[in-house]
Amino acid sequence: MKINFHTFLKQFMLSAAIVGAMTACNKDVPDATPIEQQAPTTNVTIGDLVNTDASFSLLRTAINRVPGLLALLSDKESVYTVFAPDDAAFQRSGINAAVINALPVEQIAAIMQYHIVGGQKVTSTMITTNFPNVQLPTQLVLAPPSIPLPPGLRMPVFPSRRGNNGWINNIPLTAVDIQAANGVIHKVAAIIAPPQQVLWVRISTDPELDYLEAAIKRADQATPSPGLEAALKNPAASLTVFAPNDAAFQQVLTGQITLALMGMGVPAAQAQAQAQALASTPDVFTNPALAGVLTPTVVQGLVVYHLLGARTFSVNLPTTATAIPTLLNLGIQNHPGVTVQATFGPTGVTAATVKGAANQTASVVQINPTTAPGGTSDQHYVNGVLHVINQVLLPQ
Amino acid sequence: MRKPLRLLAALFAAVLFALPGWSQNTRISGQVSTNTSGENLSGVSVRVKGTNLGTDTDSAGRFQLSVPSLPVTLVISSVGYETEEVRVASATSPVTIFLSTSNVIGQEVVVSASRTPQRILEAPVTIERVSTATIRNAPVSNYYDVVTNLKGVDAVVSSLTFRTPTTRGFSGSGNLRFNQIMDGMDNQAPGLNFSVGSVIGLTELDVESMELLPGATSALYGPGGMNGTLLINSKNPFRYTGLSYQVKTGVMHLDNKERDASPYYNFSLRWAQKVSEKFAYKFSGEYIRANDWLARDYRNYKRLGTTGEIVPGTRETDPNYDGVNVYGDETTIDLRSRVLNSIATAVPFLAGYISTMPESIPVSRTGYTENEVIDPKTINFKLSGSLNYKLGKDIEAVLAGYWGTGNTVYTGSQRYSLKDLKVGQYKLELNAKNWYVRGYTTQENAGESHNLTITTQLFNEAWKPSTTWYQQYAFAYLNAKQAGRPDLEAHNTARSVADQGRPVAGSAEFNRIFDSVRKVPIPQGGLFRDKSDLWMAEGQYNFSNIIRFADVMIGGNWKQYVLNSEGTLFADTKGSPIKINEIGAYIQVGKEIIPNVLRLTAAGRYDKNENFKGRFTPRLTAVVKPAQDHNIRLSFQTAYRFPSTQQQWIDLNVGTGRLLGANIALYEKYNLVDNPGYAPTPGRERVPYREAKPESVTSFEVGYKALFAKKLLVDVYAFRSAYNDFITRRDVEQFPNGQPGPVGTGAGFSLVANSPEEVITRGAGISVEYVLPRNFIASGSFTTDDISDVPDGFRAFFNAPNKRTVFGLSNTGFGPGNRFGANVSWRWQEGFFYENDFTQGDLPGFHTVDAAVNYKLPRIKSMFKLGASNLLNQYYRTAVGNPSIGGLYYLSFAYGVL
Repeated sequence: MKINFHTFLKQFMLSAAIVGAMTACNKDVPDATPIEQQAPTTNVTIGDLVNTDASFSLLRTAINRVPGLLALLSDKESVYTVFAPDDAAFQRSGINAAVINALPVEQIAAIMQYHIVGGQKVTSTMITTNFPNVQLPTQLVLAPPSIPLPPGLRMPVFPSRRGNNGWINNIPLTAVDIQAANGVIHKVAAIIAPPQQVLWVRISTDPELDYLEAAIKRADQATPSPGLEAALKNPAASLTVFAPNDAAFQQVLTGQITLALMGMGVPAAQAQAQAQALASTPDVFTNPALAGVLTPTVVQGLVVYHLLGARTFSVNLPTTATAIPTLLNLGIQNHPGVTVQATFGPTGVTAATVKGAANQTASVVQINPTTAPGGTSDQHYVNGVLHVINQVLLPQ
Repeated sequence: MRKPLRLLAALFAAVLFALPGWSQNTRISGQVSTNTSGENLSGVSVRVKGTNLGTDTDSAGRFQLSVPSLPVTLVISSVGYETEEVRVASATSPVTIFLSTSNVIGQEVVVSASRTPQRILEAPVTIERVSTATIRNAPVSNYYDVVTNLKGVDAVVSSLTFRTPTTRGFSGSGNLRFNQIMDGMDNQAPGLNFSVGSVIGLTELDVESMELLPGATSALYGPGGMNGTLLINSKNPFRYTGLSYQVKTGVMHLDNKERDASPYYNFSLRWAQKVSEKFAYKFSGEYIRANDWLARDYRNYKRLGTTGEIVPGTRETDPNYDGVNVYGDETTIDLRSRVLNSIATAVPFLAGYISTMPESIPVSRTGYTENEVIDPKTINFKLSGSLNYKLGKDIEAVLAGYWGTGNTVYTGSQRYSLKDLKVGQYKLELNAKNWYVRGYTTQENAGESHNLTITTQLFNEAWKPSTTWYQQYAFAYLNAKQAGRPDLEAHNTARSVADQGRPVAGSAEFNRIFDSVRKVPIPQGGLFRDKSDLWMAEGQYNFSNIIRFADVMIGGNWKQYVLNSEGTLFADTKGSPIKINEIGAYIQVGKEIIPNVLRLTAAGRYDKNENFKGRFTPRLTAVVKPAQDHNIRLSFQTAYRFPSTQQQWIDLNVGTGRLLGANIALYEKYNLVDNPGYAPTPGRERVPYREAKPESVTSFEVGYKALFAKKLLVDVYAFRSAYNDFITRRDVEQFPNGQPGPVGTGAGFSLVANSPEEVITRGAGISVEYVLPRNFIASGSFTTDDISDVPDGFRAFFNAPNKRTVFGLSNTGFGPGNRFGANVSWRWQEGFFYENDFTQGDLPGFHTVDAAVNYKLPRIKSMFKLGASNLLNQYYRTAVGNPSIGGLYYLSFAYGVL
C-alpha cells in the first residue's frame, strides 16, 4: 500500500511539474515605458560651435571670461537660443580682444547673458512679424536698478522679422538657424547691448526732454496712481516713447497759447510774445495762469499719445504709412492712433516718421542709434525704447 | 470532540423516536455506509422502487421511511457511488446498506436546465454542475473559484474576495449579462449592479451545489441572463444536519514582490439541526481575512472622456502621465491655455516667451498608487441561516437570511474601495412538490465605500487646490525653462516645486486628509452612499399532477428596485429614492414526443419594466436521444435585459466625464435633449437623445453529450448569438453654443446607447471527462468565443479570450484506505483586448495551475487539504487595471464534511 501511495504521489508531482513547466511564462503587468526623448540630429553643442568656429574667436574670448558659461552652452541636456556676435560684429561694435579682457567680469557676463535665451529653440520660422516684435527673456537677470525688479525678471530681447530679414532689437541677424544639439544659433551684426536703466532715468536727465518730464508730472496730477512716471520707472513695463524734444514742445505750446490768448482778445503780436515767454520754460505746465488750459487731463491725453504699449524699435516700423494705436486708445478706443513709417537703406532704417492725427506734417524720428546720451533713436531701456521726435503729436 | 458527537447522536435518536404520526403504515429504517472505510453516508437518496416515496439519509447516514406495505425494493443512490437495490421484507430490524464508490460520470441530476430535475446527460441546454464533493476535492482556495475552472467560464478578479464569473463573453466586475441566483434569489446588488456572490453569498460549508447555465436563459430566469446563469443552492437543514467547520490558513505574496508575504485566513462553521420532522434550522458563518492582491498597472493611460488607450510614458517622462492604477493624476489641465496664457496677460514681459511655447501643454497632478490609497486588508464576513418548517406532507416554509460585510475592491467605471459594504438578503418561501412562492429582498448598504479616483483627486485638492498648484507649477516651469533647462526637466522641476510638502502616503497628515475626503459624499468627497433595495415576489406552479399530456409549468414575478444613493451615484435626492417596477410571467410546456427518443420543450416569458416596453422571450429546446447515453440537444433561446439600474439612472461625474443613465429626465437635466453632444470619433456626428431599448439576444445552440462505456463523457456545443439593440456606452462632448469645438474642450458625457446594428457572437466548445483506473479522472475542455459586427465607435465590452482550455487530473481515492485524494488543474486563456469603463488595453494570455492533496479521516468525518491556487506563483490578471493574482498556498482542516 505504501509503495502504491508513493507512486500516486509521484505521478501527481510529475504531472504538476509538466504543467508547471508549460506555465512558467505568464506576462505580469508590464512596467510603464518611458517616452523616448528625441535624439538631437547632431552631437555638436552650442559650446562646441563657439569653440570651433573661427569667426567666433572674440565671442569665445568673451564667453571664456565668464565662469561656467561655456560649460552651460556645452551641456547637451540644456536648450538655448544664442544670438551670437561673430568677430565682425564685435568689431562693428568697436570691441576687440583688449576691450573684452579689460571689461569687468560682471559686465561681460551681463552682455553675454543678454545674447542667450533659455529653454526654447527659437528658430527663424517662429518669428513671423516685424510689428509687434516678440519678447524673449534672456539669461540676463538684471541687478535691481533704482527700484526693485520683479523676481525673476530676465531682460528680454526682441526678435522680429520682415521678409528674409531678421533683427534682434534693432540689430540685424546675419545668419540664422545654425543647429546645435542643445539649441540654435543666430548670428548678429553687432553686440546687443543690454539696457541698464529705466526710461524715466533718460527722460528725467536728458536736458533735451525737460518739457516732456514736466508734462508727465503735470499729467500725473490727473491720475497720480498708477501714474505715468511710475510706469516709466517700472522695469516690468514695455513701452515705446516718441519723445518730442524741448524745441518741439516750445513750438507747439507757443502756438497753442497764442491762439488761446488771441481768443481772449489779446492782439496777435502781443499774444505771441506773451506765449513765447510763457512757453520758454518747462514750468509752463504748472503756470497757474494756464491751469485752465493745460489741465492735467489735457496734458495726460497728450502725453499718452506719445506712448506705445509695446517696445517698437525703428526696424519694427512698417515701410508704408500705417496707423497704430497708442496708449491713448486705452481711453478712446476708436482713436486712429499715430501713423508711422520707416524707410530702409542698405544698413537699416535711414528715416522714420510718426504723425499725430491733428498734425499737419509728420514728426521726424531723430535717427541716431548710438548709445546715450548722444543717441536719439532706438534708445533701449529696461522698460522700453525711446525715439526723439521733432514735433509734439497732436491727437485732435 | 467526542462529547458533542455523542450529544448529537442522542439528539438524533430523540428525533427518531419523536416521529410524528402522519406517516404511513409501516416504518422501515436503516443506515448507509461505504463498503471501504465504513464511513456513514449522508444525503444519500433512498427511494422505493416503483413509487414516488423516498427520503435522504441524515448526517449519520441513517434514514427511515414509511411504506404502505412490505416487501419493497429500495433504490439507494448517491453521486460517486454505485447505485444499490435492496429488497426489504421486514421492518423489525434496521437495514444496513454498503455502497461502493465509483467514479460515475454523467449521472448527476440537475434542476436548473428546465426548472425540473433531470439527468445532466439529458439536459436540453449546456449545463455544468459543481457538487459538494467537487468543492471538497477542488484545488482552489474557495468554492466560488471552482466555477472558474468550468468549461467556457471567464472570471474577472477585482480583489481576492471579488470574483465575477461569466460565460460566452462580456466579462467584467459588474457583469450585467450574467445572472447569479442564490437559493432562488437574484443576488445582483440593486444599486451597484454587480453580483455579490463572492462577497456575500453562501458560506463554503453550506453550498450544496452550483449549476452553471451558459447562454441565454431569460426564458426561465428572467431579464439579465443573456449570457448565462449561475445557480448556487445551499444545504437544506433537514437533509444536512450537524456541525461542520473548516479552518483554512494560507500564505500569499510569497515572493514579497509587491507586498510582504502575508497570511490568509478562512474560517467557516455550519450548524444545522433537525429539531423534529417538521422543523429544522441552520446557521453558518465564514470569515476571510488576507492582504489583498494588488492592482499595480502603472502604465500611462491616455483618456478621452471615458475611453482611452495605454500609451508610453512614465511620471518622469510625461508631464500629463495618468497611471492606470495611479489615482489623483486624472486631474489634468492645459497649462498653456489655462495658466500660462493668464500669466502672459498679467506679466507682459513673459508674454512673448509664452507665445513661442506649444499650443497645448497638458499637465496632470501627481497621483498616488493604489497600494498607497487602499487598505491592503480584505475582510469578508458572511452569516446566514434559515428556519425550515414543514406545513404538511409536501409544503416546506423557509425563512432565510444571508448577510455579509467586508472590505474589497471593485472595478467599475473606476476602482472602488468597497469598505464596510453590507448586503443582506432575506426571503420567505413556501416550497411544495409542485409549486413555490417566494418573497425576498436585497438590502444593500455601501458603507464607507468610496471611489478611489475621485477620492484621491479631491485629496489633492484638499491638500493644495489645483489653482494654487498649477500656478506654482507654471512659474517654476517658466523659470526652469528660461534658465535653459530642457522641457522635460523643467516640467519635473516644476512638479517638485508644486509638490513641495505633499503628504507622504501613510503619514498622519495623509491619513487625516484622506479620511476626511473619503467620508464626504460625492461630489464634494469620494464617498458614495448607496442604500438601494430590491424587493421581489415570485411563484411557480408545475401542473404535472393535473395535466398529463405534457409537462406544463407557469410562474411569475414582481420586482421593485428602490434606488437610494442620496444623489451620490444616481439622480435621486435625499429622502426620495427612485423606484423601478418590473413584472414578469412565464410558461413552459414540455412533452416527450417519442418516448425515450425525442423530447420537446417550449417556454416563453413576458416581462415589463415601467420604463421600457414589454418583452416576450421564447425558448424552444429539443433533446434527441438516438441511443442510450447519447443526447443531442438543440435550442433556440432568446433573452434580453433592461438597462441596469445604473444604465437607467446613474448620474456620476467620474472626473473625466459624466456617466449618465438612459432616462430622459437625465438628458433634460443636462440639456442634452435641446443641445446634444457630439461624438469625438468618427466624424464628429451629433448624438441626439434616443430612447434606450432593452437589449435582446437570439441564440441558437446545438450540443451533443454522450457517455461511452460509462467511462468517457464527451460534451460538444456550438452556438451563435445575435444581439440586437446592444446596450453600450458612447462618449459625447457637449458644447455651450451647440457647435462642435475641438475634441477635448466640451463637457464630456458617457451616454447609454443601443447599437444600431446586430452584433454577433459565436462560440463552441468541447469537454471530455475520462474515468481512469484507480480512481483517476482526467478531464479537459477547449472553448472558443468570438464577436463580430461591432460598429465603429461602439465599445462592446466583449472581453472574452478567443480560446481557453482547462485540463484537470483528479484522484478521488488512493493510498491507504483510499484516504488520499488529489486534484490538479491547468487553465490557459489567450490574450485579448480588454475593454471597460475604467481602462482598456491588451490583456495578455495566461496559464495558471491549481493543485491540492487531501487526506480524509472518515471516522471523524474530517479532511485535511493542502493546496495551492496558482501553484507556480505566476502572476496573471483577468482584466486590465485589475490586480495581479499570485499564488495562494493553504492548509485546511474541515470537520463534519464527509
